[in-house]
Amino acid sequence: MKAVFAVVKRLLASNKIGFIITALVALCATSSGEVVLSNGNYAWLLAVLTPFFFVFYDFTKLMHLGASKKDYFFGCLISYGFLAFCISLVNTAIHLLIDPVYSAHTVINMMDVCKWTDNGIIVAGVQQMFFLLLVMVFLHVLLSMQPHWYGWLTDAVLVAVICIFTPIAALRAVLSGFFRIIMLNGNAVLHIGICLLLSAALSFAGLAVLKRKTL
Amino acid sequence: MIELNQVTKQYGQATVLKNITLSIDEPGIYCLLGRNGAGKTTLLKSIAGYQNITNGTIKVDSKAITISTLDTGVSYIENFAKHFNLPVRKLIRIASEVNPNYDYDFALDMMDRFELDGKKKFNHLSLGMKTMVSTIICLASNKDVILLDEPVLGFDAIMRVEFYDMLTQSFQKHPRIIIVSTHIIEEIAKTIQKLIIIDKGSIRFFDTLQSVETKAFSISGLQKDVKAVTQNLNLIGQDTVGGLMTSYIFDYPPEQTAALEIHPLSLQDFFIQMVGHKGGAIK
Repeated sequence: MKAVFAVVKRLLASNKIGFIITALVALCATSSGEVVLSNGNYAWLLAVLTPFFFVFYDFTKLMHLGASKKDYFFGCLISYGFLAFCISLVNTAIHLLIDPVYSAHTVINMMDVCKWTDNGIIVAGVQQMFFLLLVMVFLHVLLSMQPHWYGWLTDAVLVAVICIFTPIAALRAVLSGFFRIIMLNGNAVLHIGICLLLSAALSFAGLAVLKRKTL
Repeated sequence: MIELNQVTKQYGQATVLKNITLSIDEPGIYCLLGRNGAGKTTLLKSIAGYQNITNGTIKVDSKAITISTLDTGVSYIENFAKHFNLPVRKLIRIASEVNPNYDYDFALDMMDRFELDGKKKFNHLSLGMKTMVSTIICLASNKDVILLDEPVLGFDAIMRVEFYDMLTQSFQKHPRIIIVSTHIIEEIAKTIQKLIIIDKGSIRFFDTLQSVETKAFSISGLQKDVKAVTQNLNLIGQDTVGGLMTSYIFDYPPEQTAALEIHPLSLQDFFIQMVGHKGGAIK
């Protein structure tokens, strides 16, 4: 486990640029009017940026330092879990402490948009954490696949699904239903369960991709 | 222990490794020699599980090695390995944290010996120093199998001597299989136990240096005399100038006569005859 935590430490330390960009955007973003966006929403940016660093920057370097693929895999999962917790904590804190200070009538925070706050702020934070974990694991797998033909195929399938499902009403209902389950879900138990299940399934897919990864 | 059985690697139509069967049973320092493009890096990367093979099997300590193997027990370093742009001392410390059996003291000793500035960031080092850092990290990992791909590239003469000493010292401290691929043949001869020569994707030679010393000879003289004494010997090469002939053998030499000049082959000459493509081959 010592090696895994050393990998976690390294992954987080080499994600400095991600932290800085997220902090700058969250601190500098401004909006005005009756309806404003909560700055806490921008904390989600870190969840989007992190997998890029883990996949494209850290993997080769950790392998050259002698880390095993197994330690890298578990290190990434633990880091995503930790970051999901931290991002969720930051957004929840901003929602509780800073959002009420705005003079605007409506402050839009994604926790409200996704109906998670219907279950209370703590449960909303937990729901947010598992959703962000799912996002990071999904991006990690998608990015890991990019050097291979099946990565491009997955990209094409995703674009095709969005392009075809959006204009056709019946298919649009399927697509929105999917997003209602994984994101806009007020049922905390179902939402957390689905996010965990999908994260686990994607992690196994990520493991299969990692096994094919060469230096 | 490394076992390669009928290992073939193809890139499209090109076959880089051809049916390689090789067994390395004992701990030791092995030198992998081959011309550019002979398949050295492909072979080492395949043993490390960093590259898939097309056919055959590779086992390290009876464990099958493929790119799917999550923990191979093999440490491989290539000559232009990229590392985090951190101070050298910190890089070595991180390596010690991610490797369970890392010999941190050895790594620090080597860092001092090679006068590596621990505070200098990796990207600010010269090519030779970068290679040295990679080599120290790899050797200190203490894994069962250490694969060094062209480690002396960018080293000056003094660094190369120090490197061979470091290799010996590391092996004496932790006997294990260390394979070093290099082009600088004569220098490493004092350090290694066995020699592996690879050519055009096939293993042409795998034996001890003693066998080269006792069996690799050049025999010069008149064509008819040389032909007469070498007809039943294992020829690995031949040069003819006018009526004079030099034959290169890998066999026990014939008795010295006044008409013949028999000289042991240097390691470099032996290698050239083995891969020089003048029709030489060990039967």
